[in-house]
Amino acid sequence: MKATGLALGLLCGAALLAAQGVVIAPHAVFIDARTRSGAVLLYNPNTEPVEVAVSFFFGYPATDSAGRIVVDSIRRPDSTSVSAAGWLQAFPRRLTVPPLERQTIRLLATPPAGLADGEYWARLVISAKGGQLPVTGVADTARVKVGLTLEVRTIIGVYYRKGAVRTGVALSGLRTAVVGDSLALWARVTQQGNAAYIGTAHAVLTDSTGKTLSEMKAPIGVYYTMEPRYALVIGALAPGRYRLRFDLSTGREDLAPELVLPSPPVRDSVEVRVP
Amino acid sequence: MSRLPHAGLLLLGLLVPRRGMPQSVGGSVGIDANVIGQALTVTTLSNLNFGSVPRGVATTVQPTAAGAGAWQIQGSKNADVSMAFVLPAVLTNIQALPGSTMPISFGATSARWNRATNNVAGATAFNPIAGATGKLGPPANPFIYLWIGGTVSPAAATKPGVYTGTIIVTIAYL
Repeated sequence: MKATGLALGLLCGAALLAAQGVVIAPHAVFIDARTRSGAVLLYNPNTEPVEVAVSFFFGYPATDSAGRIVVDSIRRPDSTSVSAAGWLQAFPRRLTVPPLERQTIRLLATPPAGLADGEYWARLVISAKGGQLPVTGVADTARVKVGLTLEVRTIIGVYYRKGAVRTGVALSGLRTAVVGDSLALWARVTQQGNAAYIGTAHAVLTDSTGKTLSEMKAPIGVYYTMEPRYALVIGALAPGRYRLRFDLSTGREDLAPELVLPSPPVRDSVEVRVP
Repeated sequence: MSRLPHAGLLLLGLLVPRRGMPQSVGGSVGIDANVIGQALTVTTLSNLNFGSVPRGVATTVQPTAAGAGAWQIQGSKNADVSMAFVLPAVLTNIQALPGSTMPISFGATSARWNRATNNVAGATAFNPIAGATGKLGPPANPFIYLWIGGTVSPAAATKPGVYTGTIIVTIAYL
């Protein structure tokens, strides 16, 4: 009976899919050891309810061999890892967000006794699924119809801070290469202290007079050591010598300043030769 | 009193739709970036729809086609996000008896992503099995658009009915 109803719904349903999604705020959760709790708000701006499931895992951004930033997920963190995934809980873990309504997910930390000062990390997975399936049309029992539903999982960072936390970053190995109409740059960055380095990467290409030719800014999170690749659009650059300046600072426009751990900026520069 | 409950109350108030302000899917629902940071929104714009397919003939929906699945991602300007997929290998006929399935496959260019603009023609192709890392657009358009197609291969003796499955896209804020 249930399957029949579903099939009828599929075959007689609306022809177009209404946009499905959920607004998640904030996109990073910082939990203080004194309160041991946090919150994530979900808002459904659509006309259909959204089913949401919440879970945690331990992982952090790292770079692959091409310098792309990816999330490394660690299935079984060892005892020395700074994983908070095992002792964070979300309430509720499953919920339905009705159209144009909001729901709060509470995060509660129950860390082990004697936890050392520092920052502990987890990734929060928010799975959202709309209620509609895609295959529509008139009932025709002779035809073969095919459609797939799309489900969305959004992953955001959760940071548990206990006691004195400090961060910093070491920068080395800055190098560049002209690739097509872009200048690619790589740098080795290593986190310092006992908390992730959350900041902004900034690169500027200047000519011999100091005139800015190209510039980029990108948020960055350094958890251990990584070698990210960035690119500046340079177009057709005339042959000559240029200078690339690269710096990392803890300013972030997308996070409240009091959440970002301060650290002195670090800088490096290299000469760029265009033959 | 700790700050977190205050922050929660503030969020609660900020997420209430405001009279006279446009309510869009893209997360512009009055969230004050200076206080709580920006929101992250992943919106499914369309499901992957093959429509009616002939038996015994492989049917492909390109990521550029009208039937392609599509998402919009909105977050902090210029931020990196990783895009990964969990893809089905077979689809199930939800009207027939259990065991009625249809293979589905995805190729090296079955997915595309584009920074800032909703224009699949100018998007970057990638293999959805491998995933990709993208950068959200600049302040005026802090979006990534994502599309996926695929190929179904119904056998000549495929039972009639509706075949469906689920594609899971994972968006990680880096």
